Amino acid sequence: MRISVKAVGAAAALLLTTPAFAGWEPTKPVEIVVAAGAGGASDQMARMMQAAIQKNNLMKQPMVVSLKGGASGAEALMYMKSSEGDPNKVLIAYSLIYMLPLSAKIPFNWRELTPVSVVALDQFVLWDNSAGPKTLKEFVAAAKAASSPFKMGGTGSKREDHVLTVFLEQKTGAKFSYLPYKSGGEAATQLVGNHTEANVNNPSENLEVWRAGQVRPLCVFDKERISYTTKVTETQSWADIPTCKEEGVDVQYLMLRAMFLPGKATPEQQAFYVDLFHKVTQTTEYKEYMEKQALKPIFLTGKDMVQFLEEDDALNKSLMTEAGFVAK
Amino acid sequence: MSQTELEIVVDDPTAPEDDSPSVVSSATVETVVCLLLLALAATLGYDNWRTGASWDATGPEPGYFPFYLAIILGGGSLYGLIAALLARRAVRETFVTRAQARRVMAVFVPTLLFCAATQFLGLYVASFLLIAGFMRVVGKIALWKSLLTAFVFTAIMFVTFDVAFDVIMPKGPLEAALGR
Amino acid sequence: MEAFGLLLHGFAVLLTWKTLVLMMVGLVLGIFVGVLPGLGGPNGVAILLPLTFTMDPTSAIVMLSCIYWGALFGGAITSILFNIPGEAWSVATTFDGYPMAQQGRAAEALTAAFTSSFIGSLVAVLLITFLAPMISSFALKFGPPEFFAVYLLTFCSFVGLGREAKHKTVISMSLGLLLAGIGMDTVSGNLRMTFGSPELLRGINFLVAVIGLFGISEILLTMEERLALRGHAAGISLRVVLSVWKDLPKYWVTLLRSSFIGCWLGITPGGAIAASFMGYNLAKRFAKEPESFGKGRIEGVFAPETAAHASGTSALLPMLALGIPGSGTAAILLGGLMVWGLNPGPLLFVEHKDFVWGLIASMYLGNVVGLVLVLTTVPIFASILRVPFAAVAPMIVVSCAIGAYAIQNAMFDIWLMLGFGIVGYVFKKIGIPLAPFTLALVLGNRAEDAFRLSMIGAGGDLKVFWSNGLVGSITTLAIVLLFWPVIDGLLGRVGWRQQDKTATQ
Repeated sequence: MRISVKAVGAAAALLLTTPAFAGWEPTKPVEIVVAAGAGGASDQMARMMQAAIQKNNLMKQPMVVSLKGGASGAEALMYMKSSEGDPNKVLIAYSLIYMLPLSAKIPFNWRELTPVSVVALDQFVLWDNSAGPKTLKEFVAAAKAASSPFKMGGTGSKREDHVLTVFLEQKTGAKFSYLPYKSGGEAATQLVGNHTEANVNNPSENLEVWRAGQVRPLCVFDKERISYTTKVTETQSWADIPTCKEEGVDVQYLMLRAMFLPGKATPEQQAFYVDLFHKVTQTTEYKEYMEKQALKPIFLTGKDMVQFLEEDDALNKSLMTEAGFVAK
Repeated sequence: MSQTELEIVVDDPTAPEDDSPSVVSSATVETVVCLLLLALAATLGYDNWRTGASWDATGPEPGYFPFYLAIILGGGSLYGLIAALLARRAVRETFVTRAQARRVMAVFVPTLLFCAATQFLGLYVASFLLIAGFMRVVGKIALWKSLLTAFVFTAIMFVTFDVAFDVIMPKGPLEAALGR
Repeated sequence: MEAFGLLLHGFAVLLTWKTLVLMMVGLVLGIFVGVLPGLGGPNGVAILLPLTFTMDPTSAIVMLSCIYWGALFGGAITSILFNIPGEAWSVATTFDGYPMAQQGRAAEALTAAFTSSFIGSLVAVLLITFLAPMISSFALKFGPPEFFAVYLLTFCSFVGLGREAKHKTVISMSLGLLLAGIGMDTVSGNLRMTFGSPELLRGINFLVAVIGLFGISEILLTMEERLALRGHAAGISLRVVLSVWKDLPKYWVTLLRSSFIGCWLGITPGGAIAASFMGYNLAKRFAKEPESFGKGRIEGVFAPETAAHASGTSALLPMLALGIPGSGTAAILLGGLMVWGLNPGPLLFVEHKDFVWGLIASMYLGNVVGLVLVLTTVPIFASILRVPFAAVAPMIVVSCAIGAYAIQNAMFDIWLMLGFGIVGYVFKKIGIPLAPFTLALVLGNRAEDAFRLSMIGAGGDLKVFWSNGLVGSITTLAIVLLFWPVIDGLLGRVGWRQQDKTATQ
């Protein structure tokens, strides 16, 4: 009897193409911790993963999205920190893991968590209202000529959007007054309503208003153009947006989207999630999502990931220091 | 449903006697509350002043509103304090009688214990203990009824939250032993 | 009348057995999560979202929106019967709904709540049907100064209303505003009043405070009196329903005013809470004897419920048309839409007609079916009142704790809830009103953020609040309301009020 049960188990394992290390598996529902509010980019990504895992039967236990956007996401970081040794929580992290400890003196260090994988890189685009200037050069000229500084919308204070604004000021010499909104969606509608002159939203945050012809992308903050060439609007695809460098303003910034376990996870637990998220990146749901949101595909894990994180951390730290956002 | 309005009046032999002596007067409680609020206002006000409470070039600093709110709260409680002290001489209104205090404690203390138990034993064990204990000791309901009700209610909550809706509640050693 | 044809098409999409069954299932689940404190609309929808992943988008959204209606209806049940508001916007419903239940008029209060929810939603759905494109452009007119003006209006409509001593209202409101400020300040990105505690980092959650202030403190107060819930059986008989409905026309001004406030605030995001309070306050302000509010006046149930539901429903409009969720629940629905590959935004109405009109049609049907369903199932929920208090009290305590914990999965919140329970008990006994406190706790942060964003945009110039017709008129209205007692007095002196009085006698 025992042998046959084992055989069935092995066959099932083969069917599920579970690799040889099939040692550990979650026994409780897995919480996917989102360090942002409902409907934001992280939340959407978490729900996409939840759907991809459920539709493709990638895990026996259900996945629960748990929103911990309090204190601009600091809540999620402290939650992960205090959940040391609990392998049923996965954080979907972005650049806040470097920035929040610096700007708000939050006692958190990403090195205390267990890295799983980097799953995507998010772009930043400079947008203005479609009634505004048509190119970056005209935009900068208009900003310089304006009697009161141009209003730049973004998400949160002393975060990636704010840093980018400061850099834009430094590189162009134009002055902006930065308006920190609660979400990228809010920044998008405020731009459409002409309450701000520009914003530095991620592609996903401005996608719909762009398609409706209400905003115009001026340039993307990366060293190369976005790779997706399918038409998004009547005339343009993501690949048609010039880089800021092409337009003469050399500002670059990419934001990671990475998965972390709490500290002190065992190698087996880590391996399970590496495998899980690797499978997620192979699903059609994930691929469609990446293209729609114009995310840059990447999959890093293990040593590569740590090296990437270290470099990214150093870069963010220097940007924050230069912008004067590091709390004393 | 029946067509007539059913009035439910549970006979309560332990209802508080009306002539129970007063434990503390309203004015005294008001004085204490105002003093506490004053202390809170001072603490928060100081913290905001430290954060920065001025109006700079781009509008108010983070501590600006909370700082002035702390001052308003302080002012309000100071006024309340004086009013309460004056009222104290005039009328003595009862805040709570001894019988009432005993009854409030009869529900407050178990609630407090329940919170503490939740922290260490998990929510489900704590709620079982609270319901069974409260029904038996305070409500004087038969032991088997108390235990059964507590068990059924806790089980329903467990199935609803932890099993059906995946809302994960705090767990203790019992759940760990059962592998949840 | 293009809208009408499209709506009929929407009904055609819906009227299949499968969709109707899904609708019923959604409504029942919704009422269920609405009655459980701590679940409520946004949490309930979020939890049930995965159930719909395998459905087609139209069925899924129909089911989810029915869960939403069900939760809205269900929330009123606990507010009225136990004084525990499941949602922020049910707080104003407890002011008069709970006293009514205590006087043995629970059936009346529940009927009033359900009926006015229905009316509010219906007005909002009509609005969505016929004015969708126009209204979405109105929402775009709202920048930070306009938002601040709306919040100011809500606060101003509150001042000077209570029967309590003025300094107690001041204490209550300033304490609420202060506590709302704890945590991270989004405008500067700095922490404040956290004293280095990681627990205070996320701030004080409004619902945790409300569960303590209303739920726990009510148990303490009830216990003090006698060992029974001061409630009566809430059997909803046809007679009660009909008698409430017969009186409806009397309150048409309140219903209309609240619907209007609700729709207006729902379209400008984040309005349902403000709407319920404002609806209540204005009903009280313009009533002939404002003192009778808070003691169990049916108008005090009609006003906030109509406004909250008109607002909750019309909040779906900016979500669909602009992609900005007007409420927490709308935000979850937004996330749901994305999962099915539908991107809310200006193009949704053009590219996914079937879906949009199916949803709008489901709002009509869901509402009607929901009303019937709640009116028939209330006796079941209300029968809880017959269980001995010694059994119900600990169960309510447990439910409150589950509710407080589930919001942020934090043990600290259970302690916080207990603390607010004590505060609520003491405040009620020494006459510090709780309503301004809760209002301040919900809207305080948003008002401050809006104010400071306006200041950054305007370079610190206060004139921005009169910089255009829209913001100028809202701000002026707010100030008029603030000084209404004075203005009212002046009008009285002129003799205008005198005639009014004799006319009614």
